[in-house]
Amino acid sequence: MESRPERVRVTAPADAAPRLVSGARAGSPEDFYVRSLIRSQLRLAMSVAVGFIVVLVLLAVLITFWPQIHNMRLATIPLPWLLLGVGVYPLIWVGAALYNRASERNEQRYRDLAGR
Amino acid sequence: MQSSTALIAVAVVTAATVLIAFNGLRLSRTTSDFYVASRTVKPWWNASAIGGEYLSAASFLGVAGLIVVSGQDGLWFPIGYTAGYLMLLLFVAAPLRRSGAYTLPDFAQIRVGGRLPRLVTSALVVVVGWMYIVPQLHGAALTLGITTPLPSWVGAVAVMCIVCVTVLAGGMRSITFVQAFQYWLKLLALAVPTIFLLIHLGVVGESATAGGAAFDALPADGSEPGSSAVSGGQLSLFQTISLIVALLFGTLGLPHVLVRFYTNPDGPSARRTTAIVLGLLSLFYVFPTILGVLGRTWLPDLASSSNADATVLLLPSAIVGGVAGDLLSAFVIGGAFAAFLSTTSGLVVSLAGVMSQDLFKGTVRGFRIATLLACAVPLLLALATRSFALAGAIGSVFAFTASTICPLLLLGIWWRGLTARGAVAGMLTGAVACGGALLAASTLRLPDVVVQICEHPAALTVPLAFIVTVAVSRWETAGDRSETGRAGAQARRAQRVMALLHVPEERYEREF
Repeated sequence: MESRPERVRVTAPADAAPRLVSGARAGSPEDFYVRSLIRSQLRLAMSVAVGFIVVLVLLAVLITFWPQIHNMRLATIPLPWLLLGVGVYPLIWVGAALYNRASERNEQRYRDLAGR
Repeated sequence: MQSSTALIAVAVVTAATVLIAFNGLRLSRTTSDFYVASRTVKPWWNASAIGGEYLSAASFLGVAGLIVVSGQDGLWFPIGYTAGYLMLLLFVAAPLRRSGAYTLPDFAQIRVGGRLPRLVTSALVVVVGWMYIVPQLHGAALTLGITTPLPSWVGAVAVMCIVCVTVLAGGMRSITFVQAFQYWLKLLALAVPTIFLLIHLGVVGESATAGGAAFDALPADGSEPGSSAVSGGQLSLFQTISLIVALLFGTLGLPHVLVRFYTNPDGPSARRTTAIVLGLLSLFYVFPTILGVLGRTWLPDLASSSNADATVLLLPSAIVGGVAGDLLSAFVIGGAFAAFLSTTSGLVVSLAGVMSQDLFKGTVRGFRIATLLACAVPLLLALATRSFALAGAIGSVFAFTASTICPLLLLGIWWRGLTARGAVAGMLTGAVACGGALLAASTLRLPDVVVQICEHPAALTVPLAFIVTVAVSRWETAGDRSETGRAGAQARRAQRVMALLHVPEERYEREF
């Protein structure tokens, strides 16, 4: 830091227009590629989310309607505590890792199609 | 002895925070630095910073407290706090980064345009921020009240004053390094005592779980810590599912989390950052969970008092005692204060930013007035109310954001049909339904079934907000199929914004 830069006020006016890419016209190939990219990303995100939520809800139902599961223990720790306290987390990581890989693949496919 | 070590710990953390904040000021930056230098921030740093800002009093004190009070049900909270970031990763992280929005009102404006959606979003962000700060102050009050002879309100006032002064002076503003440091401080402040206590119990030859008894329901003595939304009683299946919905989708709308995502250079790095956040949060929650289990054996009396959230603070002395116990307690107390300070200052900065832009035209003076407002209102609320369970109170805030801001974000990012009126109608419906239910549960005397639903309303109010948003959007564009009409303009805007949100950046060439 040799010389101190001149002081500038950084502002963000409330009515600033968003910087938008010039949109492709509806029905053009570019628009079609964008739509199919969004569709594939949404399908991917939904399947990971639904899978995860179904597992969580199944766990909740299992623990509510099968109280005896509490008596299954590993090193004095009941199975529901192990499932909720430890078991769910690796599931979250796996979901995140799979999603990250698949979404980058979707974007690569878009790049290839749109020729960028 | 114990109270003096506690005070020293608080003083050290406070001094360190203020020092770093004021020194950060001297790293003078150019305008382009302000916007762009953040592109050099590595995902690891960024993820630590997000963790530092996110892990609040509810995580640091509340999770262990809930496990002491309600046992197994308490485990759902850390799952939800963590998995909220999974939803953020799946639906929001990369598109939101590409949108270029700094704040949620910015996003509303970019996506649907117009003044009203922006104002409604700002108002909701301010309400959410205030609701989120209050439990931090309750945590500070509890910490000082239990570990020192000072009256408990001193804690709340002290935290708010420190935050107010540092934010007014311009410090703590998005300094990634400070927040990243806070994450590791909080982690160590719980991990070191936990590991020490476990080793100590192992050496002494006592079972850490009391031979498994720690996991059984505590002997009920008929005490119920109030039937408000923040009580930590047993959850029914509906409440569990509602809680899952609230925590999963509430994280998306937290105002202080969004700003952090802007320091990622592009969409893919926003995703990588979020994935690391998931790891950091899972690692952190191991320790409050273990401490909660220890608390069930060693401090079972706390479960029936209203101070269960103090479990983490009291455990070291209860198990070890003596100087070692004091030192470990001081360590935990320091970490707790770091949690209150970092989360509160993150929230105050983002609230003040939103308020000053929409109420005071974004001037520096406006920012200062807004900072005072952002500090004063929650402080008054915190002094006027009392907390039974920090994690539960935060759960209510998540239900509220999930019912209001989540529909705007999710539909805005993934559905072309969203219109300005639809967004506003959905947010207002969600706010009235969820806010009303939470208020009713804590103030009115209602039949048990209704209270159960009103305490955890997310499973009903979140779908309701989505349905209203979609229905009003459809209704607004129905019957107007012309290219030149409102619907045509709306469709063109949606098309352009959706392309901006989802099309991957051209590598290394993105201009700002």
